[in-house]
Amino acid sequence: MVAAVECRALERGYGSLEVLRGLDMEVGAGSIYGLLGPSGCGKTTLLKVLLGRLVPWGGTVLALGSAPGEPGAPVPGPAVGYSPQELALYEDLSIGETLRFHGRLQLLEPAQVAQREAWLLDFLDLPDPERVVGKLSGGQKRRVSLAVALLHEPQLLLLDEPTVGVDPELRARLWDHLRTIADGGTAVILTTHYIDEAAQADTVGLMRNGRLLAEDAPQVLMEPHGHVSLEQTFLLLCRREGAKT
Amino acid sequence: MNFARIHAIAARKFASLRRDKRTFGFIVIMPAIQIVLMGIAIGQVPTGLDIAIINDGATGMGAIITDHLMDSESLVVHADYGSVAEARDGIEAGDIWAALHITPDGTLELHLDNSNQQVSATILVEVRNAMTAALEEQGDALPLAVAQPVYGERDPAFIDFLAPGIMTMVCFMFSLILTTMAFVGERYDGTLDRVFAAGTLPVEVLLGHLAAFSTVLIGQVTVVILIAVYGFDIPINGSLPLLFLLALLLGWSAMCFGLFISTKARSEFQAMQLNMPVMFPVMLLSGILWPVQALPGWVQPISWALPSTWTAEAFRSIMIRGWGLEHSEVATAFAFNLLFALLALAVAARSLKVRD
Repeated sequence: MVAAVECRALERGYGSLEVLRGLDMEVGAGSIYGLLGPSGCGKTTLLKVLLGRLVPWGGTVLALGSAPGEPGAPVPGPAVGYSPQELALYEDLSIGETLRFHGRLQLLEPAQVAQREAWLLDFLDLPDPERVVGKLSGGQKRRVSLAVALLHEPQLLLLDEPTVGVDPELRARLWDHLRTIADGGTAVILTTHYIDEAAQADTVGLMRNGRLLAEDAPQVLMEPHGHVSLEQTFLLLCRREGAKT
Repeated sequence: MNFARIHAIAARKFASLRRDKRTFGFIVIMPAIQIVLMGIAIGQVPTGLDIAIINDGATGMGAIITDHLMDSESLVVHADYGSVAEARDGIEAGDIWAALHITPDGTLELHLDNSNQQVSATILVEVRNAMTAALEEQGDALPLAVAQPVYGERDPAFIDFLAPGIMTMVCFMFSLILTTMAFVGERYDGTLDRVFAAGTLPVEVLLGHLAAFSTVLIGQVTVVILIAVYGFDIPINGSLPLLFLLALLLGWSAMCFGLFISTKARSEFQAMQLNMPVMFPVMLLSGILWPVQALPGWVQPISWALPSTWTAEAFRSIMIRGWGLEHSEVATAFAFNLLFALLALAVAARSLKVRD
């Protein structure tokens, strides 16, 4: 398996607060990686380190073969797609303007953008592209935010809580799409609160206190403990971790 | 640096500006209102000043001086005060500003309410002018003749000094205000994270904003110059395009500095606060309301570190002296603004971190 992302003993915090404390992680190219853990455990910080936005305090990180943010590294750049947890949209632009802005930023040709725009509007069931983002519903905004991340068909896709406020039917379609692009070689990392959803990933990382408690295929994580759900596995691992400290 | 990205950011910002019509109108109309108010309120000669004349003179001089003072637009002459004592009572009661006593031997004695320096100065000027005119009529003259000035008019108005300064202040302040809040929000709502995730460089973000705001700047500068020239009839003896260009350059200096503030402020409220320590020195130390030469020596170096000081001086040179780039004073203003803008841009680019 070729690694799209590899972290070793990764450390990072803010001021005197430690968030990531020696995190190890490996994400294969062409796979979907579900990052599961309570809020505050460091999921978003991890994504920002992968994007090169935050510099690690310790350990190493490789995204698409290079340390993010180093000269000549593909990340940050058009090779990565990012959908932050906050919607991160310009409320005063229309849907079409938003997509064209990000298309230009990703150095796409106008024709490519138009083609992707048409597809995304249909796929994500978005309203009239002339509509201004600020006047959309929460769920619609979330879908526009996803469209921005998917627009340029990146090799590495980082989605922070992508399915919050998205209806089950669209969520299922989104997963189908993620599966399709993963089969095409894209590595997808997504964070989620929905444990059932994470079970559809190829690999699940159970994260707590800035570290991965376990990292494996969901079936593998469930079986040895004789548990039927990821949730029970997670609880058990948490208790064990608690007993150790 | 990638031009396509700069263009994308500029187009996005411009679309936002255009959509927000109220703000857009505000940022073009506000400088206009400010320059109109300043032109109306500051530097005009006071009118309607009541003074008394007590003519005890034996010669015809007293009558001639009185006639001239009666013609003055600034003064309202009262001849019904019988004595100096009565007139001084009038001053004490606040009825009149001054009393001019023409003594029997022909000398003049002026009694003043000296509580308002500008009023006293105006009365003194009027009395002196009347005396000079009276002497001339009698074929006599003061032993001082003022020749045709090399630069400026024979009777310069304070507004001629002030207008270049006000133009400087308005161009600087509104450009600064325009940019200080440019991306305070973007830094915290995740949109800038996204822009950086695409591989955009800080300098591309800054130049994109600068390009979008420049459209507003061109509008502001045009309005300000048009009002100064046509609204207040300020003469421009030099090149109008040169004046326009320097005003733009000053605007860019202020914008680059504003963008730097924008990279530091944690909230829009804080951005407004951070404007103040820049705006006050610019307003008071740039020779805008009062000449730099009148400042204490230790303050003057601060004045000459501000682009507004160089610009106000150069504006005056272009407008009144009719100088062009061949004069080092004008050329220096261009160079200083350019240098200041580039420096502020570089500092802002360093301050706007992609990596933290």
